[in-house]
Amino acid sequence: MKKWIAVSGILFAVFLLGCVSEQNVAKEQIKIYGSGASFPAPQIENWIYEFSKVNKNVIVEYSSKGSGAGINDFKSKLVHFACTDPPAKESEWIEFKKLGEPLQFPFIVGAVVVVYNLPVDELKLDGETLAKIFMGEIEFWDDQAIKALNPNANLPHEKIIVIHRSDSSGTTEVFTTYLSLVSKDFKEKVGAGKLVEWPVDKIGRGFGGKGNEGVSAMFKQTSNSIAYVELAYALHENFKMISLKNAEGNFVKANAETISSAISASSAYVPDPKEGYKEDPKQFLNARGKNSYPIVSFSHVLLWQSYPKDEAQAIKSFWNWVLTEGQKHIIEGYAPLPKEIAELGLKAVESIRGE
Amino acid sequence: MDQFKIFLLPVVGLVFGIIILMLLVFTLNSIPIFQHEGVAIYTTNIWKASEVSEEEFYGILSAIYGTIYTSTIAITISLPISIGLAVFVADLMPRRLKELLIIPTDIMAGLPTILYGIWGVFVLVPTLAEIMKFIHGHFSFIPLFSYYNPTGFSYLSAGVLLAIMVTPFATSLIREAYVAIPNIYREAVYSLGLTRFEATKVLLSYIKPAIIAGTLLAFGRAVGETVAVSLVIGNAFNIDASLFAPGYTISSLIANQFGNAFAYKLMPSALFSAGLALFTIGLIVNIAGLIVLKRWGYA
Repeated sequence: MKKWIAVSGILFAVFLLGCVSEQNVAKEQIKIYGSGASFPAPQIENWIYEFSKVNKNVIVEYSSKGSGAGINDFKSKLVHFACTDPPAKESEWIEFKKLGEPLQFPFIVGAVVVVYNLPVDELKLDGETLAKIFMGEIEFWDDQAIKALNPNANLPHEKIIVIHRSDSSGTTEVFTTYLSLVSKDFKEKVGAGKLVEWPVDKIGRGFGGKGNEGVSAMFKQTSNSIAYVELAYALHENFKMISLKNAEGNFVKANAETISSAISASSAYVPDPKEGYKEDPKQFLNARGKNSYPIVSFSHVLLWQSYPKDEAQAIKSFWNWVLTEGQKHIIEGYAPLPKEIAELGLKAVESIRGE
Repeated sequence: MDQFKIFLLPVVGLVFGIIILMLLVFTLNSIPIFQHEGVAIYTTNIWKASEVSEEEFYGILSAIYGTIYTSTIAITISLPISIGLAVFVADLMPRRLKELLIIPTDIMAGLPTILYGIWGVFVLVPTLAEIMKFIHGHFSFIPLFSYYNPTGFSYLSAGVLLAIMVTPFATSLIREAYVAIPNIYREAVYSLGLTRFEATKVLLSYIKPAIIAGTLLAFGRAVGETVAVSLVIGNAFNIDASLFAPGYTISSLIANQFGNAFAYKLMPSALFSAGLALFTIGLIVNIAGLIVLKRWGYA
C-alpha cells in the first residue's frame, strides 16, 4: 500500500513538473534592460511591477546609477533604454547618431525641493535668498533677508549649514539651473551643471553627500542645515520642505497639484523625439501661474529607432503602456505628463521598427 | 623542467599578466588628462566639470592629501592599541579565555567594509560630532581643532573608522609574531630579573620588523578603503590641517564621481590618473616595507 502511495506521489510530481516546463516553452519571456537616472527610479520600479501584472511575457529591469552612467550604457548598447533627467546634449546626440537613430522624449514630471532642519514649522524663501544661502552669503538663520520673509517665525541665531550632492547628478543640474535663472549673481559665480563648485564649501559651511542617501543621512544628523533633494525622497523621509516664492509672488510647496500647474502654465515646447537634444531644460523652471511650483523638470528616456524584432515588440509594448496606462499609476512625488506631450512620446514609440 | 613546475606556470603568468594589463589600462586611460593639463592633475586642487571639454580642469591634490592624512590618523590610533591588545592576549590572558578574544578580533578583520561604513554614518559620526563640537568650543585656537564642522563628517571620522577597521588586522599580525618568539628568549629575559614591563619592551623590540610590516600593511589597507570612507569623510575638495575638516580620499573620489564621469570628456581619464596615484602610493608603501624588512635581515 505504502509503495503505491509513493509511486503515485512521484508520478503526480512528474506530471506537475511537466506542466511547468510546458508553460515555459509555450511563452518565451523577453527581457529588456534599462539604466540611468536615479530621480525617476522609484516610479519606474512601480511601473515595472504594475506592467508585469498585465504583461507576463516581457520582463523589464532598470538599474538606477545616474544619468551620465545611463547615457554611457546606452552608447555602448549595454541597455535597451536609458533614462536621463536633463535632455541629452547636442554633442552626445552626435555620438548617438554615429551608432543608430536615437529617440528622446519626456515620460514623467518631478520636482526638486529644498528641505531644512530647524525647529520651525513653516519657512518661506524666495529664489534670490535661496541663491544667497547656497552661495554662503547669508550666514545666520536670523539674517534680515530671511526674517523679512518670515516675520513670525522664531529663527535661531545659528550658522546655516548647506548640504549638497558631491556626485554629479541631474538633481543638481535642475536646482542650479533654477538658481541661475533667478539670481544673476549665482549664474556668474557658480553657474548651472551636474557638478558645480559650491562657494559655500570654501567658507567651511558647505558639505557634500554622495547620492540622495548621503545627503539625507548628513541632513538628518545636522541641525540648522538646509539641503535640496527630489520631492519623492523628501516625502519618503518626511523632511520639512520650504515654501518657495514663484514667479507670481505666491509661496507654494511642491505637490502633484503645484507641479501640474507649473507644467500647464508654461507652453511646453517639446521637440520632435528624433531631434530630442533641441529641448530647453529651463522652460518649466520658475513658471508663471498662481499655484505653480518653481523647480519642476521632466525626466527623459532614450531609445533607438530599431531593435531586433522580438525586442522591438517588447520595448514598444512597455513604453506604450507607460505613456498611456502607466500615467494613471503615478506614485507620490511625481506628476503625469500633459496629454499632448504623452502623445508625442507615443508617436515616437510607434516609429520603432523591428529588424 | 619537472611537470609540477609546468603545471603551475600558467597560474603565475596569469597573475603577472593581470597586474601588468591593469597598469597598462590605467596608464593608457590617463594619457588624455596628461595631454590636457600635464602634471597639474596631481599638483592642483580644482574639480571643474563642464560639458565644454576645454573648460574642464581636474586636480586631485586634496584627495591625495586626504588619503595620506586619514591613513596616518588611522595608524596613529591603531598601532598602540594593536600592540597592547596583542601583548595582552598573548601574555596575560588565561589560556581558556584567549580564544574568546581571538575569534571576535579575527571575525572583525574579515567583516565586509560596508558594515563599518553604515555603523560609521549612524553611530560614529554623530558621536564624534558632539565631541568635536566640545573640543572646537574650547580649543579652537589649536590648528588641529580649528575647523567648525557640526556635521561630524571629517578626516577625523574617517581616520577613526579606518583605525577600527585595521586594528584587528594589525593585531593578529603582531600577535602571531609575538607568540612565535622562542621560549628561550622569554626565559632569558625574565632570568635577568626584568620586570614584566621591561621584559615586554625587550621582546617587542625583537619583533620590530613584524610590527613595522603590520603597520605598513595596515596603512595599505587604510589607503585603499573605499565604501566606508566615502560615507563618512564629507566629500569636499579641501586641504586643511584641521582634523575636523571634511575632505576626500582618492578611493572615495573615484567612488563618488565614477557613476556620472562618462557624461564628461576628461573626467574618466582624470579618475584613471587618480587610480594610478593610488597604485603609486601603494607601491611606495610596499617598497618601504620591503626595505625595512631587508635591513633587519628578514627578506
